[in-house]
Amino acid sequence: MAAFAAVLRKDLRVEIRSGQSTIALFALSLLIMVVLVFALSPQPADRARDGAAALWVALVFAGMLGATRSMIAENENGCIRALTLSPIDPAALYGAKLTAAFAFMAIVEVAAVVLITLFFNLDFGADLVRLAPSLMLGTLGFAALATLLAAISSRTRAGDLLLPILAIPLFIPAIIAGVKSSEAALSGFPLAAASQWLGILVAFDVLFVTVGALLFEHVIRED
Amino acid sequence: MKNKATAMLGWSTLIMMLVALFMVFEWVPTEEDQGIVQRIFYFHVPCAWVAFAAFGVVAISGVFYLWLKEQLFDDLGYAAAEIGMVFCTLVLITGSLWAKPIWGVWWTWDSRLTTTFILWLLYGGYLMLRSIADDTPEVARFSAVIGIVAALDVPVVVLSVRLWRTIHPAVLITRAGEHGLEDPRMVVTLLVSLAAFTALFGWMLMLRLSQLRTRSRLMIIRRDVALIEAAAGDY
Amino acid sequence: MARPAVETRALTKTFGVTPVLREVALRIDEGNCAMLIGGNGSGKSTLLRIIAGLSQPTYGDAIVFGENSRGLGLARRRIGMLTHQSWLYPNLTARENLEFYAELYGLPHREDLAMNWIDAVGLTASSNDRVREFSRGMEQRLSIARTMMTEPDLLLLDEPFAALDPGAVAIVGNLIRAAIARGCAALLTAHAPFDLDIEVARYQIANGRVMPLRDEPRAAPRSRMGA
Repeated sequence: MAAFAAVLRKDLRVEIRSGQSTIALFALSLLIMVVLVFALSPQPADRARDGAAALWVALVFAGMLGATRSMIAENENGCIRALTLSPIDPAALYGAKLTAAFAFMAIVEVAAVVLITLFFNLDFGADLVRLAPSLMLGTLGFAALATLLAAISSRTRAGDLLLPILAIPLFIPAIIAGVKSSEAALSGFPLAAASQWLGILVAFDVLFVTVGALLFEHVIRED
Repeated sequence: MKNKATAMLGWSTLIMMLVALFMVFEWVPTEEDQGIVQRIFYFHVPCAWVAFAAFGVVAISGVFYLWLKEQLFDDLGYAAAEIGMVFCTLVLITGSLWAKPIWGVWWTWDSRLTTTFILWLLYGGYLMLRSIADDTPEVARFSAVIGIVAALDVPVVVLSVRLWRTIHPAVLITRAGEHGLEDPRMVVTLLVSLAAFTALFGWMLMLRLSQLRTRSRLMIIRRDVALIEAAAGDY
Repeated sequence: MARPAVETRALTKTFGVTPVLREVALRIDEGNCAMLIGGNGSGKSTLLRIIAGLSQPTYGDAIVFGENSRGLGLARRRIGMLTHQSWLYPNLTARENLEFYAELYGLPHREDLAMNWIDAVGLTASSNDRVREFSRGMEQRLSIARTMMTEPDLLLLDEPFAALDPGAVAIVGNLIRAAIARGCAALLTAHAPFDLDIEVARYQIANGRVMPLRDEPRAAPRSRMGA
């Protein structure tokens, strides 16, 4: 547990100091939304759907960048080997990297929600609060998946190409559930309307956090 | 011994396939609503079964590889993934061929087609990893992890895609054809076809596995020869 | 009877089909120091990595404090390792790096400990500078502090004196001698033999084989009094 806190605090400290990942993540999600605004030419009638779609596209692509950067930082001076040699449990290490990735993505998403509200003429209000569960559950699931996969892709040639190829198909169930529940929230439906979707997101999160914690050992070890 | 078993399985596959072909084209009655097109179903379903079964083999061999670190399981996972990819592609093609006359479109986001398509993407990712990372010493380990993760993803995919289609207004609702096995001969034909494809899968798996096993053994032999040569150079 | 800290048995490693280490049999007892001399790409670093459990042997075993290196448990905690990569985070300061590792290893009084080690390797003036701004030699000093701070029972030092100025060489030499004096075992690598002023078993590594150094350019291991 002490080791978990140490790694997490280290990641947060580096990030607070440089702001590199968060700023890059934010810039990327802003640009993705700009592209989508022009690609979709938002109509008032579809604004909830378009807003939800833009939010999730931004989440997926910005999240991939964030997870990759976090693992590249561990590889830079061979630090991942120091962590492998240290007494830290790989599951705790995974938990720390996952928590850090989740925190960065969550910060960026708050900003992204403000942006889509402006871009798609949504209302600032209760709808945005109802968005929180689906967005946070989706972010957790994506961070869980991306942290595990980035550990693989950061150690392979052409890994930046490999990560989306691996991550996006695996993330499809969460994309479906996330977009649907976000759309319901932005359309002003109560949370209960999206309960089935939120259930799928919870299942996805539980599954991938567990699997990631169990398998992380195998993706950081060397032969 | 092993070759003999493979050959026997190969011959039985051939015979079963011929029987299945005869039944599909000559013996089984034509389905009334859909007509002749429905017969593709006797290939479509077995292909889907093999695609899913192969995925199961990939995941299970992944678990065994991480557990026992035996090269055999890495080879098995690789062989099963390649074959699974072929059959998954066949499912999508035969599905499209059937969908065009029945539904009027080549592709629709029907829940089963969508699930199969996602499965195809997952297989694609797995095989891309194997080809991109083939010079990384840990590729076997990484592939095992991806195989396991992908297989665990499938139930969530099925669940979410099903819910996605039911909540959406379905563009094309009628799909009675898939359940219209009113004639017992249709059931028998399907079962024979399933058995034939299962045998085909087993046979292909054995062939490809023995090829990969040979390659792995050759690597070990080359490695050991290099060690012996280096030892000879000491004197 | 001294207990072995490390013992390798017919340890063999290949990369692909290229042999890197061949049937290495090496034993280092607690409180002893061994020096491994070989050129670039001779397999020195690979041997150290295998002993630390960071790489897997192709054949044979490395036993570290009674545990097989293929699956090190508690023994990991007792290893201190220095490689040509510093294992330091460039965006953290020297202090933060050491405090992080102290926390990772569950050491008490982290702030004081980190500062003491920074003083010990002569980086007091740069303690609040980021490692990114360090020179190669400074990074090496800090990396040595990181290695020594956890008070390991086995030191694996890959070219510990590379990139160091004479002052730093003296400091690091003292640290190594102090560690060995308290019963730590050490395996050092170097391009060429050098004198550490203590009893050192010298080996050379060439073509993947490790053997006692035949051509002693300086003194026999036991004759440090006369050196």
